[in-house]
Amino acid sequence: MSIAVVTWQRLNLLGRILAIVVPILLALGLVTIGVAYVAGPYAVGFLADNVPLLRFVAAIGAVLLLTIPTAFIVIYLELKVIARMNLRVGPDRVGPFGTAMSVVHGLKFLSKEDFAPTGVDLRVFTLAPVVVFGGSVMTFLVIPFAPGLFGLDMNVGMLYLFAMSGLTVVGLLMAGWSSFNKYSLLGGLRSAAQMVSYEIPLTLALVGVVLLAGTMSLNQLVLAQSGSIADWYVWRQPLALIIFVIAGIAEANRSPFDLTEADQEIVAGFATEYSGMRFGFFFFAEYVNVFVVSALIVTFFFGGWTAPFDWPFPVVISGIDPLAWGVGSLIALLLVPVVGTLVLAAPFWLSSRISTLQALVIGFILFNVVAVGLLLGWAFVSLDWVTGLFWFFAKSYVFVFFFVWLRGTLPRVRIDQLMGFAWKWLLPAALVNIFVTAAVIVIVNS
Amino acid sequence: MTTQTHGPHPSLDDPSISVEDVVRESIVDAVPVARTEREAEFYTLRDGELLLNMGPQHPSTHGVLRIVLKLDGERVVDIDPVLGYLHRGVEKLCENADWHQAICYTDPLEYVASLFCEWAPVVAFEKLADVTVPRRAEYIRVLTGELNRISSHALYMGWFALDLGGLTPILWSFIERDEIVEMLAAITGQKLLFNYFRIGGVNGDISHEFMSRLGDWMSRAGAQIEANQGLLNENEILVRRARGMGVLDRETALRMAVTGPNIRASGVPFDIRRAHPYSVYPELEFDVPTRQEGDSLARYLLRGDEIKQSLRIIDQVLHEMPDGPVMATLPRLIRPRPGRAWAAVEGPRGMYGTYAISDGTDQPFRMRIHDPSFVHLQLVSLLTPGNLIADTMAIMASLDPVMGGVDK
Repeated sequence: MSIAVVTWQRLNLLGRILAIVVPILLALGLVTIGVAYVAGPYAVGFLADNVPLLRFVAAIGAVLLLTIPTAFIVIYLELKVIARMNLRVGPDRVGPFGTAMSVVHGLKFLSKEDFAPTGVDLRVFTLAPVVVFGGSVMTFLVIPFAPGLFGLDMNVGMLYLFAMSGLTVVGLLMAGWSSFNKYSLLGGLRSAAQMVSYEIPLTLALVGVVLLAGTMSLNQLVLAQSGSIADWYVWRQPLALIIFVIAGIAEANRSPFDLTEADQEIVAGFATEYSGMRFGFFFFAEYVNVFVVSALIVTFFFGGWTAPFDWPFPVVISGIDPLAWGVGSLIALLLVPVVGTLVLAAPFWLSSRISTLQALVIGFILFNVVAVGLLLGWAFVSLDWVTGLFWFFAKSYVFVFFFVWLRGTLPRVRIDQLMGFAWKWLLPAALVNIFVTAAVIVIVNS
Repeated sequence: MTTQTHGPHPSLDDPSISVEDVVRESIVDAVPVARTEREAEFYTLRDGELLLNMGPQHPSTHGVLRIVLKLDGERVVDIDPVLGYLHRGVEKLCENADWHQAICYTDPLEYVASLFCEWAPVVAFEKLADVTVPRRAEYIRVLTGELNRISSHALYMGWFALDLGGLTPILWSFIERDEIVEMLAAITGQKLLFNYFRIGGVNGDISHEFMSRLGDWMSRAGAQIEANQGLLNENEILVRRARGMGVLDRETALRMAVTGPNIRASGVPFDIRRAHPYSVYPELEFDVPTRQEGDSLARYLLRGDEIKQSLRIIDQVLHEMPDGPVMATLPRLIRPRPGRAWAAVEGPRGMYGTYAISDGTDQPFRMRIHDPSFVHLQLVSLLTPGNLIADTMAIMASLDPVMGGVDK
């Protein structure tokens, strides 16, 4: 036996794993360094030449990462708010106040069997949730969250938005058709009819806004509304707001327009045959859509990330700028946690009979709370994008709450009432809004 | 309903056809062999029509009802309720139990308002056995019965909203029902199937807990029920969906032997408590509310009116209830004289009737149970065609069938 075999046999399991993994990692590292050394200048040059492309990829990554927590928060809100409206407690077991409930929902989807019934058109069946989820995720790309914080500033942002929400219809129709189930088929066809009908007033309602702002870029629209609360388009386009909210609810398939998944009539509509994570994608897409519609309402009519009144921030507090302290900042970084913990632990240690260790733990936790609070406060007053994010999310979640509230309150409309409402009321109202807006603009300008 | 599934599928022997296709085809063409003219007509599809099997597992078929819808797009062309998924043979079971035991078989027939399923046979058996019920027992029966009626109607109003897509009202209406059920549990020991009425009286006097709970509830019941109805009664979506939907005219209602709130919503003031009085109802003051429209909305609103009348009755009963025994003195095993007796009571869904034949032994020779839900379910196929799928639910929920009573 060679010495290599003997050595190998004397290793335990961990040793063997390391013996395989470490050389591979080393080799990979060397190769990476080599490639970076050779191709690095070219790559940097390429990226420097193609900043938009880089930005696009980064934006898509960020957007995908953002959708999941957004869906989690909206799902939790829905569970909790509707429970309160129903005089129930709602989720309160997992995490503090049940906040981890949506995570458990997600894990449940992942752990369930991914089942496809006999007779389904498997390729279309598998692709449908992807299309639906993709459609709602991609709308995130053009929403301006804060000054400078947006995926892409398209000059045709609004058109892109409607194209993406139109993609959702295709996905639902695919799901309904491929499921080989009559309930699914009815649900898919209902969704097609409903979304095609409501897409028109939804689009036309925004023509007034576009006429006012003179741009279709969402970022420019927000900038056009910046200033104070009086500059928001809600005061100049109230009718458009009403049309947009109603059509947006229908577009997001929310109650009272959730006919596509009316469980009392067609079980779960297009999602009847879906289980596991495939259903999870529909589920997440629905809640992401709720947030997207809320965010769009805020962007178009409530000034996006702008503050509702003359906001004095961001202010630069020169004394607290840590980068200006030089080496002093490093020393502060070392000393402040220790001193802070001790100072905060002292009253507990002195006043009650808890042990030193417990007092220190309490002090440490308190210090963290205070430090994070101070940090956020500093960021809030001195970084404009943090302020923007705050206002954007605050306004958006007001409308998310509004949607959840509707779901807890209203019964469902019937399909003929739904279609009649879109074509007989919303569409003429949207057209009237366009003509009146255009006329007023012409009169004011002349 | 038999389907053509006897023997292997003919094309299974053909190697050129895949199993997938056979399964697919057999799912699509699962049309039963017609046994009657009506079935033959129903299962013949014209161009563009589609059969949709709703139930027995479906979110809104109120138990295990299966309805086959013949659809033209979203429009219902024809509808065929298929019964029997909850059949237990209660009438036959009753024939093999003695007179006392028969009551607890009829109890679970209608699990939402089970006191009324006890009341009808009890009255019939008392007629057969010539028993005089103590007046206090009669008052207790009326009191508990009206409480049960309120709980059933409260639940109905929640169900109706739920079938129209409203989430909240059902949970609000459970507040009333929970309170009443707790009250009844204080004297009967049960929350769903009370089994409280006995031949010759009731099983035990009302207790202190019952009275304190009842007093507590009565002081706020009116306002609370108003609040619950305020959630929905003037909701534009609900009114638009229910008004003019499933109109049951007076003649059809009489012809189809509809009873209870459903016929009163069609303008016929027929209430067994007034038309064929029993118990102490002749001594009590209450109105028989009627509505003329005969649509789903009228049926829904009429239940609200009835709750108010029930509260009125409870108020009077509490003031006028006499002291005394709650059970007549009877032998443990009764052998009524040979004969026949019919008794009917006004339940929350209509007329509960029992027709009992005695041959002089300690068991019923024959027991026939009339349940209103069965009668009302027949209306679904009259009222629904021509409407949309969603209206099937609105109409069925407004008729308020309970499958336990339908299938017996």
